[in-house]
Amino acid sequence: MQTIPTDVLVIGGGATGLGCVRDLAMRGIRSILVEKGDLTNGTTGRYHGLLHSGGRYVTKDPQSATECAHENVILRRIMPHCLEDTSGFFVVTPWDDPSYGDIFAANCRKTEVPVQEISVAEMLRREPALNPQISRVFEVPDGSADSFLAAHTNALAAHNYGAQIFTYHRVVELIRTGAHVVAAVVEDLRTRERKYIDCGFILNAAGAWAGQIAALARVKVTVVPGKGTMVAMNHRMVNTVINRCKLPADGDIIVPIHTVAVIGTTDIHVPDPDVYGIDPEEVQLMLAEGEKLVPGFAQYRALRAWAGVRPLYKDQDVANDRDISRTYKLLDHRQRDGVDGMISIVGGKWTTYRLMAKDAVDEIARRLGNTQPCRTADEPMPIPNFEHRSGNYAGDGAEKLYWLGKPLAAVEQAQAYGDLICECELVSRTRVQAAINSGASNLDDIRRDVRMGMGPCQGGWCIYRTTALLYEQRSAQPSADVTQDPTFNIQHANAALLHFLQERWKGLTPVLWGDQLRQARLDELIYVSVLGAGRLTAPAETA
Amino acid sequence: MFRPYAPGYTLMFYDTIVIGAGIAGMLAAIGRAEAGERVLCLAKGHGTTHWAAGCLDLFDIGDGDPLAGVEALIADHADHPYALAGVDAVQAGADRLRAACAVGGSPLVGSLRRNLRLPTAVGALRTTCLVPTTMAAGDARQLPRQGDGGGPLLIAGFHALRDFFPPIVAANLRAEGFAAEGVYLQMPPTDRTLDFGTVSLARLFDRPEFRADVGRQLRQLVQRGRYSRVGMPAVLGLANATQAVSDLQAAAGALIFEIPTLPASVPGMRLYRALEAALLRAGGRIQIGAFVRRGEGQGDHLEAIYSEAAAREQRHHAARYVLATGGIAGGGVRADYAGALAETALGLPLRTPSARADWFGTRFLNETGHPVFRTGVAADAGLRPLDAAGQVVYKNVAVVGSALAGCDPVREGTLEGIAAATGWKAGRA
Repeated sequence: MQTIPTDVLVIGGGATGLGCVRDLAMRGIRSILVEKGDLTNGTTGRYHGLLHSGGRYVTKDPQSATECAHENVILRRIMPHCLEDTSGFFVVTPWDDPSYGDIFAANCRKTEVPVQEISVAEMLRREPALNPQISRVFEVPDGSADSFLAAHTNALAAHNYGAQIFTYHRVVELIRTGAHVVAAVVEDLRTRERKYIDCGFILNAAGAWAGQIAALARVKVTVVPGKGTMVAMNHRMVNTVINRCKLPADGDIIVPIHTVAVIGTTDIHVPDPDVYGIDPEEVQLMLAEGEKLVPGFAQYRALRAWAGVRPLYKDQDVANDRDISRTYKLLDHRQRDGVDGMISIVGGKWTTYRLMAKDAVDEIARRLGNTQPCRTADEPMPIPNFEHRSGNYAGDGAEKLYWLGKPLAAVEQAQAYGDLICECELVSRTRVQAAINSGASNLDDIRRDVRMGMGPCQGGWCIYRTTALLYEQRSAQPSADVTQDPTFNIQHANAALLHFLQERWKGLTPVLWGDQLRQARLDELIYVSVLGAGRLTAPAETA
Repeated sequence: MFRPYAPGYTLMFYDTIVIGAGIAGMLAAIGRAEAGERVLCLAKGHGTTHWAAGCLDLFDIGDGDPLAGVEALIADHADHPYALAGVDAVQAGADRLRAACAVGGSPLVGSLRRNLRLPTAVGALRTTCLVPTTMAAGDARQLPRQGDGGGPLLIAGFHALRDFFPPIVAANLRAEGFAAEGVYLQMPPTDRTLDFGTVSLARLFDRPEFRADVGRQLRQLVQRGRYSRVGMPAVLGLANATQAVSDLQAAAGALIFEIPTLPASVPGMRLYRALEAALLRAGGRIQIGAFVRRGEGQGDHLEAIYSEAAAREQRHHAARYVLATGGIAGGGVRADYAGALAETALGLPLRTPSARADWFGTRFLNETGHPVFRTGVAADAGLRPLDAAGQVVYKNVAVVGSALAGCDPVREGTLEGIAAATGWKAGRA
């Protein structure tokens, strides 16, 4: 078994872990991150994409609200290409307590969340599809965030500072010497090879899986996986984030992100973060709630439904998941459990990932005697290769932020109309190839990088095309810009195609009616009949 | 603003109005028109021809006799569309489709007694029965196998075409034991520089100078690699593919065959064009872009239908009607989010095999398909629509093709077979 020495092993390739490894690397602390799937495979890749203003937490969780308000400003500075400045409305509908509006505005001011009341007429001028029966509107600086791109951005920044990142590596063992955690054994899930990581510190950033990791060191951490179901609609019926002005509940937010609008969420306690389904009733509930914000909402075409598990840390008994603080906790296991060499960072939310990382790394740096200050709030991050190149765009100032027309402008600039692999999401061949070259090993990895397969046709065309490109590139002769993989063969390409078809199917079945049901039948005609994909040979475990 | 129909006038009188312009609807329309009737075919858009492989799939039962398979199916499943049509209509429908394709310049070859296996755009082998002559040399029985000493198979395409990738086709064929290599050709210079789709490439292949350039490239490759056959994307001409393939074979010095691409399907479009020409020759009319939204019945007689186009309704009246709207894929059956299924043109009762919770299997590519796609209109032996009690809803309506209940044409491999059998039966009844 290969032994790799390092100062800190970070466990978990979501927003928090990646924020930690970037911060560690920037302070000159040697670090390795391991993730059992692809980056953002867990909750980070399954959230609605809200860049919080803090508004949602001003009443129940004021500390979270203030943290969000501060981080919102910082993230716009360090990773603008991942964020769209949509703005956000909190609206009082006929179903909401009208007295909450004043409480909301007062609590925003207390928690430093910028807020301004606007007239309903102004709201309707900006968002004509909203319910005209809405009585009050408060504007806050919500935005939408591409959590996939943000993860890769942090990973690239960390890599540039010398950190190592191993995806598809599962922690199988944490080694304790007495009361000290001193090393981890990790397994490469693709090759079954194991590595012994000899480390000064373990930082458990496994989110909803943090309890499972802690248990490997015989430490008890209770994380309550709270399932949140979301539905993406094939239309941006609003271009502003719309929140119900009430205490957070099911189906009370619509986030316009890229070409879709996402409505979320439910909050259902699940025993296991890896095992959960989506009930049709959850989807119907959200469409019904969507109707209250945008009349006619349920008539739009639903593209897919998915769920993520919120990593809510339970440090006391509370009745309702939503009452568990959305702020985060740093668990120092030396103090808490008498086990040295490991800390866990649990709870929190995407918008505050950088702050969580800073607190965790401050503690580790102190223990390691490292006196470098945290610089993650100041230094803008590099842009991954597979992202739309912002190259020669007019106006390099405000336009550093993502904007809806950016992918099309990039396609037009490159005259790549004829080279689109995914027409729905405007993904060109060169971007798919860049994603493959950056290490994506299956179609789901490529999807997380470039969004192929996430539009209305749900992969009807691009699954075939991307599989063919994956095969061509991985089996090609090595050259300067192509990484050849001698272990990759046609069976792997077939497995990638079959795996992705099945992944899409899981997200589709809860929303198959109307045009999307028809689309599913067309996709079936293409893959079963025209392509004969059911007859492809692939390794048994993936077929 | 949408205007409902204002009473006062009805458009021209027809003997038969067919709703839907896929294979089933077109064959029904052709049959009635050839019998001397005034026929109108009204369709919201094109049918499944433009999506599917452009072949006639009769019944995917592997290597056995597919027509015998159909006979066995009829014996076991009295409510299957093949059983309603009867085996004679299965043969007669296929024959009429072949005749139309032959006259239209895109002849089909093969026998209802033998299935063929042809390579797909991912390099798997799909089972089909009657195929365009342009695909015939792709018959798996004739393809060179590794170690048999003959010249290998070349799969050739174009980088600019995103609906066909030669390397993956060749790799999967090699995995199946065939001797195959993939190559990209140079796009001959044209006035077109961006966005080569299947249809635009097919139009380029209609030009002799474009074919000549591709032919020269193939000749060099064949001479260098001793290839015995060349598989190419099914874009080798829209107007006259038979001539295009013949020219390319002569230039290359090897057999050429087409492999169906992702939609839009050029072979399917040729098939549609042949049917459209046959209908027009027989004096029928066709109107695409007319969405039939409701019918008006008097007891068990359908009096009129209403189509929606250009923001107003039109009333159409005929002695009889044929519903050929193609089920869920064709848009003739639609589900709402609460899980209710409706037949969109006439509001006919549907037979659906399961409750909402059982609509789908957990695996997309499971063996049996997804129950919801078996939804359709139940019919009697005269193809007349039935309600839940088994009573005829309208005596002057026939239901044909994938709009019928009791089958999953995609999974059975019966898509065009059912369309031709039931469409032709309605055309001849």
